[in-house]
Amino acid sequence: MKNLYIILALLSLCASSCKKSFTDLSPQSSYSDANYYKTTQQFGSAVTAAYAPLRDVVVNDYLMSEQRADNAIYQSILSNRGTAYTDREALCEFMDASTNSYNASEWQYCYQVISRANIVISRLPSATTVNADSAKYYDGQCKFLRALMYFKLVRLYGGVPLFLKEVKTPEQAFLPRSTVDQVYTQIVADANDAIKELPAPAGFPQTGAATKGAATVLLADVDVYLKKYADAVTLLNTLPAMGYTLNANYSDAFQPTNKNSKESLFEVQFLGGTGTGSTPNPLVYYFLPRSSSTALVTGLAINNQSTGGWNTPTKDLIDAYEAGDKRLDASIGIVEGTYNASDYFTYSAVKSVVGYTTPPSGKVAVAYVKKYQHATPAVSGSSDDFPIYRYSEALLLLAEALNEQGQSPLAPLNAVRERAGLADLTATDRATLRAEILHERRIELAFEDKRWHDLVRSGNAVAVMNAFGATLKTQISYLPTGSYVVTDNRLLYPLPQAEVGLNTQLTQNPGY
Amino acid sequence: MKQQFYQPLGRLFLVWVLLMFFALRTQAQATITGRVVDDKGQPVPGAAVMLKGTTRGVSTNAEGFFTISAAPGATLVIRSIGYKTEELSAEKTTSVVLKAIATELNEVTVSYGKQRQREISGSIATLSTEKLQDQPVMQFAQQMEGKVAGVSVMESSGQPGRGVDFRIRGAASFYLNNQPLFVIDGLPITGSINNINPDEIETFTVLKDASATALYGSRAANGVILITTRHAKAGDAKVEFNSNYGVQHLPSNKVPKPMNASQFATFMNERYQDMKTYEGFTGAIPAEYQNPSQYGAGTNWFKLLTRNAPIQNYDITLQSATDHSSSTAIFGYQEQQGVLINTGTKLFSGRINKDLTTTNGKIKAGFSIAPSYRLDHNNRLSTDGVGGLFERLFEASPLISPYNPDGSYVRNVYSSGMVAYINPLAIFNLTNDDYKTTRILANGYFNYEFLKGLQLKINTGVDKGAESRNYYQSGQVTSTVNNPTGTSSSVDNGSYTAEAYLDYKKSFGNHNLEVLGGYSAQKYSSTSNTLTGLGFPNDDIPYLSAATSVTGSSGYTAYSLVSAIGRVNYNYKGRYLLQAALRNDGSSLFGALSRYGDFPSVSAGWIVSDEDFMRSIGKISFLKLRASYGVTGNNSFSGNYSAQSTTSNYYYDFNNVVTQGTTIGNLGNANLQWERNKQLDIGVDLSILKDRISLTYDYYHKNTDHLIMTRPMPTSSGFGSILDNVGAISLWGHEVTINTVNTTGKLRWTSSLNLSFDRNKITALVSPGYIRRNNTVTSDYFRQQVGHPLGVFYGFVFQGLYKDAGDLAKSAKYLATATNPNGVSDIGTIKVKDINGDGVIDDVNDRTFIGDPTPTFTGGFTNYLSYKNFDCSISTAFDVGGQILNAAKWAYQTNMDGSRVPVAAALNHWRSLADPGNGAYPRTKTGTTAIGREVNTQWLESATYLSIKNITLGYSLNMKGNSMFRKLRAYASVQQLLVLTKYSGMNPEISLSGQDPTQGIKVDEEGYPIPRTISIGLSATFK
Repeated sequence: MKNLYIILALLSLCASSCKKSFTDLSPQSSYSDANYYKTTQQFGSAVTAAYAPLRDVVVNDYLMSEQRADNAIYQSILSNRGTAYTDREALCEFMDASTNSYNASEWQYCYQVISRANIVISRLPSATTVNADSAKYYDGQCKFLRALMYFKLVRLYGGVPLFLKEVKTPEQAFLPRSTVDQVYTQIVADANDAIKELPAPAGFPQTGAATKGAATVLLADVDVYLKKYADAVTLLNTLPAMGYTLNANYSDAFQPTNKNSKESLFEVQFLGGTGTGSTPNPLVYYFLPRSSSTALVTGLAINNQSTGGWNTPTKDLIDAYEAGDKRLDASIGIVEGTYNASDYFTYSAVKSVVGYTTPPSGKVAVAYVKKYQHATPAVSGSSDDFPIYRYSEALLLLAEALNEQGQSPLAPLNAVRERAGLADLTATDRATLRAEILHERRIELAFEDKRWHDLVRSGNAVAVMNAFGATLKTQISYLPTGSYVVTDNRLLYPLPQAEVGLNTQLTQNPGY
Repeated sequence: MKQQFYQPLGRLFLVWVLLMFFALRTQAQATITGRVVDDKGQPVPGAAVMLKGTTRGVSTNAEGFFTISAAPGATLVIRSIGYKTEELSAEKTTSVVLKAIATELNEVTVSYGKQRQREISGSIATLSTEKLQDQPVMQFAQQMEGKVAGVSVMESSGQPGRGVDFRIRGAASFYLNNQPLFVIDGLPITGSINNINPDEIETFTVLKDASATALYGSRAANGVILITTRHAKAGDAKVEFNSNYGVQHLPSNKVPKPMNASQFATFMNERYQDMKTYEGFTGAIPAEYQNPSQYGAGTNWFKLLTRNAPIQNYDITLQSATDHSSSTAIFGYQEQQGVLINTGTKLFSGRINKDLTTTNGKIKAGFSIAPSYRLDHNNRLSTDGVGGLFERLFEASPLISPYNPDGSYVRNVYSSGMVAYINPLAIFNLTNDDYKTTRILANGYFNYEFLKGLQLKINTGVDKGAESRNYYQSGQVTSTVNNPTGTSSSVDNGSYTAEAYLDYKKSFGNHNLEVLGGYSAQKYSSTSNTLTGLGFPNDDIPYLSAATSVTGSSGYTAYSLVSAIGRVNYNYKGRYLLQAALRNDGSSLFGALSRYGDFPSVSAGWIVSDEDFMRSIGKISFLKLRASYGVTGNNSFSGNYSAQSTTSNYYYDFNNVVTQGTTIGNLGNANLQWERNKQLDIGVDLSILKDRISLTYDYYHKNTDHLIMTRPMPTSSGFGSILDNVGAISLWGHEVTINTVNTTGKLRWTSSLNLSFDRNKITALVSPGYIRRNNTVTSDYFRQQVGHPLGVFYGFVFQGLYKDAGDLAKSAKYLATATNPNGVSDIGTIKVKDINGDGVIDDVNDRTFIGDPTPTFTGGFTNYLSYKNFDCSISTAFDVGGQILNAAKWAYQTNMDGSRVPVAAALNHWRSLADPGNGAYPRTKTGTTAIGREVNTQWLESATYLSIKNITLGYSLNMKGNSMFRKLRAYASVQQLLVLTKYSGMNPEISLSGQDPTQGIKVDEEGYPIPRTISIGLSATFK
């Protein structure tokens, strides 16, 4: 019997001693949220992570904000009717349905930035070991990012669910739509906080992080949308003192060797290469005709048969450039070649768009976005940053705000024109100037994902796009009959069907 | 196959009584020491050994030994429940053949021990591998197909050494892992079952109901399969050699048939003609299509990519055992080349089992160690589903040669109008993906009976794995051209299990009691790393040493489980049976608040045939009624830290400075709870006509709640999904097994039929009440929704083609708008039902539930025949009822726009009112064909099939008097002989993702085809 007691004692000792800690495991090759978000450095890393999905936003946004408008179209690929093609074409043709996967991606990426910003904003107040200056800086950056993304969302979708706190449980993930006003109120509040909390650039080139200047131009842009022109003027006039000015040449702003320059208010950072942490920009290949080799344009022989063919500059845009505008050659190029029956292009020559008339016999000419074509370090993409706000846009916003208040916009407007090699405008009529400013924005900011928003904001979208589509259909055979039928409902995109299906509190935009 | 639960009467057990006479007292009483064992060499404890004509007698001890004083020549009577009483003269020596009255005393492996078959009150099925060994297969799972009621084994892919999935009673869970728990010789394994050589296995025990599985509580919701490996029996010493060589080939009748060169050129010629007629196309018909008759069959990509391939299998077994010691060593080599070129697998395996009992019988100890080494060559490339082999066949033009004139590969093998897909022959030949897997299963046990009937049992086990991968793909075939990619990765993983428990057995008159209680702990951990290399200058050196850029990562993950177990078995006269069990589990996978779960069960049995009133009904030889109810749990989901939010790294490179960001990447769910599976089982076991016919019937009803599943979240939360308790499901069904002995004598013929009728219904789900498969319409095959069974198909209702202008005018049209009233529909395009009646067909409102994959019943039928030295077995498996969604055919092989090569049948498509085709294939008009690739009722087919899984014919040579061989047997075997089905795809057993019902049941995206294997074998036992 003694043996029995000894064994029972051993058994129970073993069981009681190991039970608790034995099952208390936490990850070792990553942090858990319980042991992260403590130090200043950790919050800094959390802020960096919040910037990262901005790249996904701009890699998708050309479909939503540029190719949708009259600046760009797509290259036909009738041999492949997979949804990877038809969904992107539908966004261009105003034939998109709520199930469109690129529309869903845009939504998701914008909210990913917001979610990561919310984590920092929610956790900072209880982070006792983060010094006050760092806390302010991190909060400011995250509020800037949150405001920037909500501004994108509210313009694309109208009132959207307003997530302002970290989501920690499934229940917190289901929110109804807020109103457009509520979203704008939050954007303004966040941008104001960011202006207060962020420093002006310490020097040029800048670090690429959000600055007081970035937050200022964002809020000014919002103010112009909300027609609070006086506020916009006040904000925009603070920028020169922070050191911002125009580069000497229009194309300087897009050079990978001249990132975050004095003209840059905010740009999305890319870094080519294949090393750990490199973040190449694939758009250079998206914006060229599909081919087994793009070497004539890119230097490196790239096969973009499955990725290319998007955001092709339209004749309408090329024709809109005034004679002598240096920005034409900087923004657009022409590649000549032949399409085979499967719609793949063979490049034969690269030409300047300036003065280009017709391709040689047997060839076709396809325009391409030249702005972001620079030396390409790898097949995975380039180091070209993507501009969000440049100082020239600040000048054009200032011109617009002044004009709408009955003041002369000519000084900032002509500053932009002069750099482009164009003569000063002298008009004084507000309506004329309004049109001139809008035109100038189209040219200056071509392929920077501004055009669709400008058309909607100016109230011109329905008229301009229907007329544009009618003309286009006479020039291009592959557009479906139902394309470019633009109604007021089409000024907002549908909420992604997966979101509406999942969250019964959401109501779909009308017409979808 | 030997279904041991209910043996036909003809199969009788042998009981050897080994008598050893130690001290002989001449003329007087002698002390006779002996041992009673069964045919397995297992002791029969508690057997009564009586002197005939007296009341004097003794019982055998736990080891079956007895000592009795008797005069030489006296008669001993040996009685034990279940055995036929036997008499023998004490003078006579050693062994006597005793006949059992029934088979029910057979002990089977149950959770945490063994139990007499007749005393089991839960639902258990056992399967001996004795007659399964002739099958030319590499996985034991293939042997089990169609053999056990309620156990669905499906070969969803023919990948060598892989691709077989289990579901017991329709599974019970939503989450990825619906596989049962595998326990090898008492050790729950944590790694893959693919590395286990089938020849090492002696029996399978399938635990189906909650009472049988209860002691594996937390992991038992999907059932448990106990595997017992071969242990030598006392008195045996032998060497066995088995060899098997076979050839696998693909039956050609079900292979999809793409258009050949002249057919495809004709099809494309017609497409361009129709473009001219209907679409205002003004260009020229591409030159290669202008004269289709110039081509013959063209390039046959199927022939280029498949082959007949050998499979071979060699095993040697060394066994010896005495009363106190038993050793078994098994070594095997298996090799299976793939029927798909440049794929294959090899397995080297060994196992040593060693058991011993001390002289006094109080201590039993043993160990086993089973190392294996597996080489997988290109065996885990994506050969299945989208992007798999058969999709590739349709991506390559029959007009194009795979080779350039200089013998090098052509990269893009497309003709005009097709997508520029990459040469599949080059992909399969220029990709190298080798896995090397080492696995060691080892366990040891120590049982000490320190008081009579009371044993301390200690089990420990290790399941250790290591795997390295070397991958290289030539830049000729990388998706980005000239971007050769190499990967080198390794995983080191393993788990250990330690258990200690006390087992007490006691009989008080007719009351028999067994109590078991103890603890168990298990921990698994895995360390892994991956390196990816880019920038190889050429293909000369396929290792990362040649890469100019190498990136990588490493990681660690672990989980642990600690449990307390308790079980009480009680029976009265071996006739009224009761069992109660409880397991308390603590799992590291859950948050601190919900870490522990209790899993109780009770069961009862009544052996009615032992009652006096039944004895008059002579035709019934055995009748048992059983019932059980219990709770089991499930914590088998892939993330080990799902209850905690974990961070990931995200880079953002500020002004060309690489900067690492870190924030929450996976949203944890601190409130995640155990999935609970409450199961009722009612069963009957019946043998009639002297056991010539035996029958087992079970009814089960399972209610699973707190179902764990990856739940989609609104992406506006910043996260796409979270692991959560999402709902509840009910599963219920009937299982019947009938074994018969049809003839005895010279021609011996036995049959076994099993049938399962399984049903299920989802009873609760989180908002919005359904979970869709996919957010894109094209592959949104099914929807899990409250009130419906798992995996019901979801899509459009096909109504043929729009016949004419009148039909088009009065029917709803796809994506019609006010400005474009015909949408993308036209005469000759696919018409579907306008479900919501708004006059427009759209993806959101006009799709509905269109079909159900749940079969009416499933089962298997197996026959054994023997005549003189010949033996023959025929195994079949079947499903009746249920539908299959032929996604591969319609989504990937019917591209009417010519972007890929369509099936040959699509030549007969709509071209004009006068030439409308056969009504199945629409016109080729640009922009109208997409709806054909969206799920509709045209894709549904009957999933009924009967598969002749194996036929084996053997001949045993007469070895009487042979000095070398004890047994010599030669056999021929055909695996996967024939599949009888109306299904037009290749494999009616296919599923989208194995048998994971959340990933789709009976959705055919076309997997690695299952070959027919013809083999010959030889097995020899040396003296």
